[in-house]
Amino acid sequence: MNGDSYEALCANEPELAKLRDSLREFLAADRAEFGWQPSVDAWLSSWDEQFSARLGDAGFLGLTIPPEYGGHGLGHLHRYVVTEELLVSGAPVAAHWIADRQVGPGLLAYGTEEQRHRILPEVAAGRLFSAIGMSEPQAGSDLAAAAAKATPSDGGWVLSGTKVWTSGAHLAHQVVVLARTSPPDPQHRHAGFSQFIVPTDSPGISISPIVLMSGEHHFNEITFDEVFIDAANLLGEVGNGWRQVTAELSFERSGPERILTTAPLLTALVRVLADQPPLDDHAAAAVGDLLARLISLRQLSISVARALAEGRSPVNEAALVKDLGTRFEQDSVELADDLASYASAEGRESVAALLNRARLHAPLFTLRGGTNEVLRGMVARGMGLR
Amino acid sequence: MTILRGGVFDSGTNKGTDDLTELRDLADDIGSRSFESRIGRRSLPDAFDATAWRHLDEAGLTRLVSSADSGGGPVEAAVLLRSLARHAVTVPVAETDVLAGWLAAQAGLDVPAAGPLTVAITPACPAGGRVTATASAVPYAGDAVAVVLALRDGDRLLTAVARAEELPIAKGHNAGGEPRDTVEVDLAADRFAELDSVVAEELTRRGAWARCIQMIGALDAAVEFSVAHTREREQFGRPLSAFQSVQHTLAGMAGEVERARAAVDLAVAAAADHGFGAPQTDHAVTVAKVTLGRVVPSVVTAAHQLHGAIGATIEHRLWLVTMRARSWVTEFGDTAGYARRLGRRALAATDPWLVVVDGAAG
Repeated sequence: MNGDSYEALCANEPELAKLRDSLREFLAADRAEFGWQPSVDAWLSSWDEQFSARLGDAGFLGLTIPPEYGGHGLGHLHRYVVTEELLVSGAPVAAHWIADRQVGPGLLAYGTEEQRHRILPEVAAGRLFSAIGMSEPQAGSDLAAAAAKATPSDGGWVLSGTKVWTSGAHLAHQVVVLARTSPPDPQHRHAGFSQFIVPTDSPGISISPIVLMSGEHHFNEITFDEVFIDAANLLGEVGNGWRQVTAELSFERSGPERILTTAPLLTALVRVLADQPPLDDHAAAAVGDLLARLISLRQLSISVARALAEGRSPVNEAALVKDLGTRFEQDSVELADDLASYASAEGRESVAALLNRARLHAPLFTLRGGTNEVLRGMVARGMGLR
Repeated sequence: MTILRGGVFDSGTNKGTDDLTELRDLADDIGSRSFESRIGRRSLPDAFDATAWRHLDEAGLTRLVSSADSGGGPVEAAVLLRSLARHAVTVPVAETDVLAGWLAAQAGLDVPAAGPLTVAITPACPAGGRVTATASAVPYAGDAVAVVLALRDGDRLLTAVARAEELPIAKGHNAGGEPRDTVEVDLAADRFAELDSVVAEELTRRGAWARCIQMIGALDAAVEFSVAHTREREQFGRPLSAFQSVQHTLAGMAGEVERARAAVDLAVAAAADHGFGAPQTDHAVTVAKVTLGRVVPSVVTAAHQLHGAIGATIEHRLWLVTMRARSWVTEFGDTAGYARRLGRRALAATDPWLVVVDGAAG
C-alpha cells in the first residue's frame, strides 16, 4: 500500500480503521452505562472528569506520548482518528482537551525530563486538566501585545498580569502562561516571551468567570498578583516563548476540531431525516451539498495532518483549514436549521438542544485560537502578497 | 505530497521532487508553449492545437491509460490533464485516453492507433436496422480521427467506432472556446456492440473524473493570474495586492482551490487503487464533482472581480481558464444531480459519518 493510497487519504488504513472501531465500541458502551448526552462544541463545553479518566484508562489519551512517559507511542494520525471519533460522538472531552492537545506536545518538544515524568503520565491517564493563558484584555488578535510579566526571583519567578478567555481555568489543575521575561522591543515584538506552568492553587491567583451569552461558564479571567513560580516550572527556554507557542499551531489549526464542532448535530439530523419518508430532490441535494463540503474539508485537513506527520510544515494550508473549516461550522448551523424543517415535529424536537447550543456557540467558531481575518492575512503572506 | 500538487502554495517548505516531477515538467513545458503560441491571437472558437497534440504524441502521452504498454495509469493521466488544463491546451487527451480508448476496448472494437479520438454520448433511436441519433456538445468531433459512439437505449449501451467522414458534424464550441460539435448518427445496427448500463455509468464517472482534474488545473491558473495581476496593477498609488480586502479575496480563492484539490486527489487515488468501476471511485468522484460545482463559480467570480473589465475581454488570458472551468462543471452530470446522489447515499447509510470517513464503507 503506497503512502497516497485511497485508504491513507481517508485516514482509514486497516490499523486506523481498527482504532476507530475500538473507540466507537468504547464510546457506545460508555454512553450506555454513564448516560452522557452528545453535545456540539463539546471540546469547549462538556467537562466530565470521570469520562476523561475512563477514556485514559481505556488507552485513548496521550496517544503520541512515548511509553516511557506513560503514553502509547503512536503517530499523529492515530491521534487524529481518535479526535475525530470523539468529536463526532459528541462525547464530553473538555476536561482533558487542552492537556492532551497542547500541553502534551508542548512538553515533548520543550519540557525538561523532570517535567515530562511528572506531568505526561497524568495527561495520558486523563487525570490532569490544564488551561492556557495567552490572550489579555489588551492583547487579543495581537498576541504580541501581551503584557503579563515574569521577573526572576530566588528559586524561580514572580508573575504578575491578567489573562482572559482561559477556558476551564476554574476547574483545571494548572495553567500554561505566556509572559514577558524581558521588556518589549518595538523592533522585535515577538522576542522576550517565556512559558510557565502555573498550578491554579498558587497563592496570588484569582480566577473569575466570563459568562457567555448562553449563560454558560467556560471562560475565565485570571489575575496573577505576584505569583511565585518554581524554577522547575519554566517551560522551554527563557525568551523562546513566542516560537514555542506558534511552532505547534499548525496541528491545532488544521485538526478535526476546526471542522467537526457541529458534527453531532449534523449526523443526528441526517439520521432523523433518514427515518422518515424519502426526502424530495431539493432536500436530498441539500444534504449532499453539506456532506460534500464536510468531506472535502476533511480531505484537506487530513492532507495537512499527513504532511505534519511527515515532518513538513504546511503553515498556509493549516491556516486555510481553520478559516474554511470554522466558516463551514458556522454555515452548517443554518443549513441544519433549514434541513430540520423537513423533519417531523418529533424529529425536530430530538435535535433542538443540539441546534440551540450550536447557534449560541457559532459566533465563537471563527474567533477562537486566532481570528479568521488574522489567518487570511497569514495566507496572503504565504501567497507573497505582503 | 499530493498527486495534483501545484498551485500557489507549492513552493518553499513543500517544494521537492517526486516520481511524477518529470512528467509534470514535460506536460507544463508542452502546455506553456501552446499557451504562448496563442498570445496576441486569442479568439473564439479556440481551434484544436495540432502542434501540442504532436508534441504529446511524440512524448507518448496521448494513450497513457488506454494503452497497456504506456507504463501509465490514472495517476499519470491526472498529472497530465491538470497541467494541460492549467495552460488551456486545446487537445482531447481526456476524451482520447480516458474515455474513447477505454470504451472501444470494452466493446472489443478497434480504434486508430494514433490521432485524437472522442466519444459521443446520447440516447439512441434504433429502428429498421438503423441506429439514428443526434449528439450535441461532442468534444473535438470535427478534429478526431474516429468517434466512439456511446448511445443509450434503455439499459443497453450501443457502441460503435465511426470514422469522422461517416458522420455529418456541425462545429461548435463551449464558453471556453473548446470544440463542442453536433454529430448526426445514422448507421447500420450491426455496426454496434451491445454493452450494459454498468459500462455507461463508468463512462460518465470517467468523464466526470477527468473534468474534475481539469478544473483544478484551470483554477490553479485563475489564482496564479489573479495574484500576478493584483501585484502588477496599481490604483490609488499602490498595487491592488496591498489592499487588505484584495488579500482576503485571494486567500479565500486559494482556500477553495485547495479544498477542491484535496477532494480530487482522493478521486485520483481511488481510481488508481481500486479502478474506475469501484464504489470508492464512485464516491470520491461524486464528492469531487459537487465540490467543484460550488468552488468553480466562486473562484471564477472572484478572479474576474480582481481583474476588472480587462479580464472579460477576448484578448485577455483569463477567460480561457475561467470559462473552460465553468463549462466543465456541467459536463458528465450536473452539480445538483451529484449532490442528490451523495445526499441519498448518506440518508441510506447505517451511519452518515461512515460515508464521510470512507464513502465505500457507508
